[in-house]
Amino acid sequence: MEPEIEVLLRVALTITSNQADAEDLVQETLLRAYRAIDRFDGRYPRAWLLTILRNTNANMHRRQRPGTIGDWELIRTARPAFGKAELPSAEDNFLDGELHSDLDAAVRALDPRFRAALVLVDVHDLSYAEAAAVMGVPVGTVMSRLSRASDRVRKSLRFSPLTRGDLS
Amino acid sequence: MTRTLRQMLTCHWSARRIQRYLDADPSAPLTPGEISRLEEHLATCEKCTEIATEHRALHRALSLWSGGTAVDPRSVDRVRDFLSTINDEDSA
Repeated sequence: MEPEIEVLLRVALTITSNQADAEDLVQETLLRAYRAIDRFDGRYPRAWLLTILRNTNANMHRRQRPGTIGDWELIRTARPAFGKAELPSAEDNFLDGELHSDLDAAVRALDPRFRAALVLVDVHDLSYAEAAAVMGVPVGTVMSRLSRASDRVRKSLRFSPLTRGDLS
Repeated sequence: MTRTLRQMLTCHWSARRIQRYLDADPSAPLTPGEISRLEEHLATCEKCTEIATEHRALHRALSLWSGGTAVDPRSVDRVRDFLSTINDEDSA
Protein backbone atom coordinates (compact mmCIF):
# COMPACT_ATOMS: atom_id res chain seq x y z
CA MET A 1 0.00 0.00 0.00
CA GLU A 2 2.90 2.36 0.69
CA PRO A 3 3.50 3.41 -2.92
CA GLU A 4 -0.12 4.53 -3.13
CA ILE A 5 0.01 6.86 -0.13
CA GLU A 6 0.96 9.89 -2.20
CA VAL A 7 -1.78 9.27 -4.77
CA LEU A 8 -4.36 8.73 -2.03
CA LEU A 9 -3.33 11.94 -0.30
CA ARG A 10 -3.50 13.89 -3.54
CA VAL A 11 -6.99 12.64 -4.37
CA ALA A 12 -8.16 13.04 -0.77
CA LEU A 13 -7.01 16.65 -0.71
CA THR A 14 -8.88 17.30 -3.93
CA ILE A 15 -12.01 15.87 -2.33
CA THR A 16 -11.70 17.54 1.07
CA SER A 17 -9.81 20.75 0.20
CA ASN A 18 -8.15 20.49 3.59
CA GLN A 19 -4.82 18.96 4.54
CA ALA A 20 -5.90 17.62 7.93
CA ASP A 21 -9.17 16.18 6.59
CA ALA A 22 -7.28 14.58 3.72
CA GLU A 23 -4.91 12.85 6.12
CA ASP A 24 -7.81 11.65 8.26
CA LEU A 25 -9.57 10.33 5.18
CA VAL A 26 -6.48 8.48 3.95
CA GLN A 27 -5.78 6.98 7.37
CA GLU A 28 -9.39 5.78 7.70
CA THR A 29 -9.20 4.42 4.14
CA LEU A 30 -6.01 2.47 4.89
CA LEU A 31 -7.50 1.10 8.10
CA ARG A 32 -10.57 -0.16 6.24
CA ALA A 33 -8.42 -1.55 3.45
CA TYR A 34 -6.25 -3.37 5.97
CA ARG A 35 -9.32 -4.95 7.57
CA ALA A 36 -10.66 -5.98 4.15
CA ILE A 37 -7.39 -7.23 2.70
CA ASP A 38 -8.53 -10.88 2.82
CA ARG A 39 -11.36 -10.06 0.45
CA PHE A 40 -9.09 -8.26 -2.04
CA ASP A 41 -8.30 -10.31 -5.15
CA GLY A 42 -4.94 -8.61 -5.70
CA ARG A 43 -5.90 -6.97 -8.98
CA TYR A 44 -5.83 -3.20 -9.50
CA PRO A 45 -4.80 -2.22 -5.96
CA ARG A 46 -4.94 1.50 -6.63
CA ALA A 47 -8.50 1.32 -7.99
CA TRP A 48 -9.45 -0.83 -5.00
CA LEU A 49 -8.01 1.70 -2.56
CA LEU A 50 -9.63 4.62 -4.37
CA THR A 51 -13.01 2.89 -4.19
CA ILE A 52 -12.55 2.47 -0.45
CA LEU A 53 -11.49 6.11 -0.19
CA ARG A 54 -14.62 7.24 -1.99
CA ASN A 55 -16.90 5.10 0.17
CA THR A 56 -15.08 6.13 3.32
CA ASN A 57 -15.51 9.79 2.47
CA ALA A 58 -19.22 9.28 1.81
CA ASN A 59 -19.61 7.47 5.16
CA MET A 60 -17.68 10.15 7.04
CA HIS A 61 -19.97 12.81 5.58
CA ARG A 62 -23.05 10.80 6.47
CA ARG A 63 -21.82 10.67 10.05
CA GLN A 64 -21.22 14.40 10.15
CA ARG A 65 -24.58 15.49 8.83
CA PRO A 66 -27.87 13.90 7.85
CA GLY A 67 -28.54 12.88 4.28
CA THR A 68 -26.09 12.06 1.56
CA ILE A 69 -24.13 14.47 -0.53
CA GLY A 70 -23.96 14.36 -4.29
CA ASP A 71 -21.03 12.69 -5.98
CA TRP A 72 -19.93 15.87 -7.63
CA GLU A 73 -19.95 17.90 -4.50
CA LEU A 74 -17.13 15.67 -3.39
CA ILE A 75 -14.79 17.08 -5.98
CA ARG A 76 -14.97 20.60 -4.70
CA THR A 77 -12.03 22.17 -6.42
CA ALA A 78 -10.47 21.94 -9.80
CA ARG A 79 -7.16 23.11 -8.47
CA PRO A 80 -4.76 20.27 -7.84
CA ALA A 81 -3.69 19.76 -4.29
CA PHE A 82 -0.03 19.44 -4.99
CA GLY A 83 2.01 18.60 -7.98
CA LYS A 84 5.16 17.02 -9.14
CA ALA A 85 8.18 16.77 -6.91
CA GLU A 86 10.94 17.79 -9.29
CA LEU A 87 11.94 21.41 -9.79
CA PRO A 88 10.02 23.12 -12.59
CA SER A 89 11.85 24.22 -15.72
CA ALA A 90 11.67 27.77 -17.07
CA GLU A 91 9.07 26.56 -19.55
CA ASP A 92 7.08 24.99 -16.74
CA ASN A 93 7.21 28.24 -14.84
CA PHE A 94 5.88 30.09 -17.86
CA LEU A 95 3.07 27.60 -18.32
CA ASP A 96 2.23 27.68 -14.66
CA GLY A 97 2.51 31.41 -14.19
CA GLU A 98 1.42 33.11 -17.39
CA LEU A 99 -1.21 30.61 -18.45
CA HIS A 100 -2.40 29.52 -15.08
CA SER A 101 -5.22 32.01 -14.83
CA ASP A 102 -6.62 31.12 -18.27
CA LEU A 103 -6.44 27.44 -17.53
CA ASP A 104 -7.87 27.93 -14.06
CA ALA A 105 -10.82 29.90 -15.44
CA ALA A 106 -11.46 27.38 -18.20
CA VAL A 107 -11.43 24.41 -15.84
CA ARG A 108 -13.53 26.15 -13.20
CA ALA A 109 -16.13 27.01 -15.84
CA LEU A 110 -16.74 23.31 -16.46
CA ASP A 111 -19.68 21.41 -15.07
CA PRO A 112 -18.39 19.78 -11.84
CA ARG A 113 -18.92 16.29 -13.29
CA PHE A 114 -16.73 17.07 -16.27
CA ARG A 115 -14.20 18.91 -14.12
CA ALA A 116 -13.83 15.91 -11.83
CA ALA A 117 -12.96 13.63 -14.74
CA LEU A 118 -10.42 16.09 -16.13
CA VAL A 119 -8.72 16.73 -12.79
CA LEU A 120 -8.50 13.08 -11.80
CA VAL A 121 -7.15 11.87 -15.15
CA ASP A 122 -5.09 14.77 -16.46
CA VAL A 123 -3.93 16.45 -13.27
CA HIS A 124 -3.66 13.49 -10.90
CA ASP A 125 -2.74 11.08 -13.68
CA LEU A 126 -5.23 8.40 -12.67
CA SER A 127 -6.26 5.78 -15.22
CA TYR A 128 -9.84 5.80 -16.50
CA ALA A 129 -10.62 2.83 -14.21
CA GLU A 130 -9.12 4.58 -11.18
CA ALA A 131 -11.03 7.78 -11.90
CA ALA A 132 -14.18 5.68 -12.29
CA ALA A 133 -13.52 4.20 -8.85
CA VAL A 134 -13.24 7.66 -7.28
CA MET A 135 -16.29 9.00 -9.08
CA GLY A 136 -18.38 5.86 -8.64
CA VAL A 137 -19.36 5.70 -12.31
CA PRO A 138 -18.58 3.30 -15.20
CA VAL A 139 -15.36 3.75 -17.19
CA GLY A 140 -17.41 4.72 -20.25
CA THR A 141 -18.89 7.63 -18.32
CA VAL A 142 -15.42 8.82 -17.32
CA MET A 143 -14.35 8.69 -20.97
CA SER A 144 -17.39 10.61 -22.12
CA ARG A 145 -17.03 13.30 -19.45
CA LEU A 146 -13.30 13.56 -20.00
CA SER A 147 -13.82 14.02 -23.72
CA ARG A 148 -16.36 16.79 -23.21
CA ALA A 149 -14.23 18.50 -20.56
CA SER A 150 -11.13 18.34 -22.68
CA ASP A 151 -12.92 19.69 -25.76
CA ARG A 152 -14.42 22.60 -23.84
CA VAL A 153 -11.16 23.62 -22.17
CA ARG A 154 -9.23 23.18 -25.40
CA LYS A 155 -11.67 25.36 -27.31
CA SER A 156 -11.70 28.05 -24.64
CA LEU A 157 -7.89 28.20 -24.74
CA ARG A 158 -7.68 27.97 -28.52
CA PHE A 159 -5.96 31.30 -28.94
CA SER A 160 -3.44 30.84 -26.20
CA PRO A 161 0.08 29.50 -26.82
CA LEU A 162 -0.88 26.71 -24.44
CA THR A 163 -2.84 24.86 -27.09
CA ARG A 164 -1.20 26.22 -30.21
CA GLY A 165 1.60 23.82 -29.49
CA ASP A 166 4.21 26.57 -29.30
CA LEU A 167 5.53 25.14 -26.08
CA SER A 168 5.26 21.45 -26.77
CA MET B 1 -18.27 16.01 -53.27
CA THR B 2 -17.97 12.32 -52.32
CA ARG B 3 -14.36 12.88 -51.36
CA THR B 4 -15.21 15.86 -49.16
CA LEU B 5 -17.97 13.93 -47.43
CA ARG B 6 -15.65 10.98 -46.85
CA GLN B 7 -13.02 13.35 -45.41
CA MET B 8 -15.59 14.89 -43.07
CA LEU B 9 -16.68 11.49 -41.84
CA THR B 10 -13.10 10.42 -41.26
CA CYS B 11 -12.37 13.63 -39.34
CA HIS B 12 -15.44 12.99 -37.19
CA TRP B 13 -14.38 9.38 -36.63
CA SER B 14 -10.86 10.50 -35.73
CA ALA B 15 -11.98 13.27 -33.39
CA ARG B 16 -13.84 10.70 -31.31
CA ARG B 17 -10.69 8.62 -30.86
CA ILE B 18 -7.84 11.13 -30.52
CA GLN B 19 -8.12 11.40 -26.74
CA ARG B 20 -8.08 7.61 -26.28
CA TYR B 21 -5.21 7.33 -28.72
CA LEU B 22 -3.12 9.86 -26.78
CA ASP B 23 -4.08 8.55 -23.33
CA ALA B 24 -3.45 4.92 -24.32
CA ASP B 25 -5.42 3.90 -21.23
CA PRO B 26 -5.58 0.12 -20.70
CA SER B 27 -9.30 0.40 -19.87
CA ALA B 28 -10.16 1.71 -23.31
CA PRO B 29 -7.56 0.65 -25.86
CA LEU B 30 -8.02 1.31 -29.55
CA THR B 31 -7.73 -1.75 -31.77
CA PRO B 32 -4.59 -2.03 -33.95
CA GLY B 33 -6.85 -1.34 -36.94
CA GLU B 34 -8.19 1.83 -35.35
CA ILE B 35 -4.67 2.99 -34.50
CA SER B 36 -3.48 2.44 -38.06
CA ARG B 37 -6.47 4.23 -39.53
CA LEU B 38 -6.10 7.15 -37.13
CA GLU B 39 -2.37 7.51 -37.72
CA GLU B 40 -2.89 7.41 -41.47
CA HIS B 41 -5.49 10.14 -41.17
CA LEU B 42 -3.33 12.28 -38.88
CA ALA B 43 -0.50 12.04 -41.39
CA THR B 44 -2.62 13.75 -44.02
CA CYS B 45 -5.19 15.89 -42.19
CA GLU B 46 -3.90 19.22 -40.94
CA LYS B 47 -7.05 20.00 -38.95
CA CYS B 48 -7.01 16.74 -36.98
CA THR B 49 -3.25 17.00 -36.45
CA GLU B 50 -3.83 20.42 -34.92
CA ILE B 51 -6.51 18.99 -32.63
CA ALA B 52 -4.11 16.23 -31.53
CA THR B 53 -1.44 18.85 -30.84
CA GLU B 54 -3.90 20.84 -28.74
CA HIS B 55 -4.83 17.73 -26.77
CA ARG B 56 -1.16 17.02 -26.06
CA ALA B 57 -0.47 20.61 -25.00
CA LEU B 58 -3.53 20.68 -22.75
CA HIS B 59 -2.60 17.40 -21.09
CA ARG B 60 0.92 18.70 -20.52
CA ALA B 61 -0.33 21.99 -19.09
CA LEU B 62 -2.74 20.20 -16.76
CA SER B 63 -0.05 17.83 -15.55
CA LEU B 64 2.12 20.85 -14.71
CA TRP B 65 -0.74 22.79 -13.19
CA SER B 66 0.45 22.59 -9.67
CA GLY B 67 2.16 25.78 -8.62
CA GLY B 68 5.42 23.88 -8.61
CA THR B 69 4.79 22.52 -5.14
CA ALA B 70 5.38 18.95 -4.12
CA VAL B 71 3.39 16.54 -2.01
CA ASP B 72 3.88 17.55 1.57
CA PRO B 73 6.39 14.94 2.77
CA ARG B 74 5.22 15.36 6.37
CA SER B 75 1.76 14.14 5.38
CA VAL B 76 3.25 11.15 3.62
CA ASP B 77 5.41 10.40 6.67
CA ARG B 78 2.49 10.64 9.07
CA VAL B 79 0.37 8.30 6.97
CA ARG B 80 3.30 5.92 6.58
CA ASP B 81 3.76 5.92 10.37
CA PHE B 82 0.07 5.20 10.77
CA LEU B 83 0.36 2.26 8.38
CA SER B 84 3.35 0.93 10.35
CA THR B 85 1.35 1.18 13.55
CA ILE B 86 -1.47 -0.90 12.07
CA ASN B 87 1.05 -3.50 10.92
CA ASP B 88 2.78 -3.59 14.30
CA GLU B 89 -0.49 -3.94 16.21
CA ASP B 90 -1.55 -6.74 13.91
CA SER B 91 1.77 -8.55 14.37
CA ALA B 92 1.75 -8.20 18.15
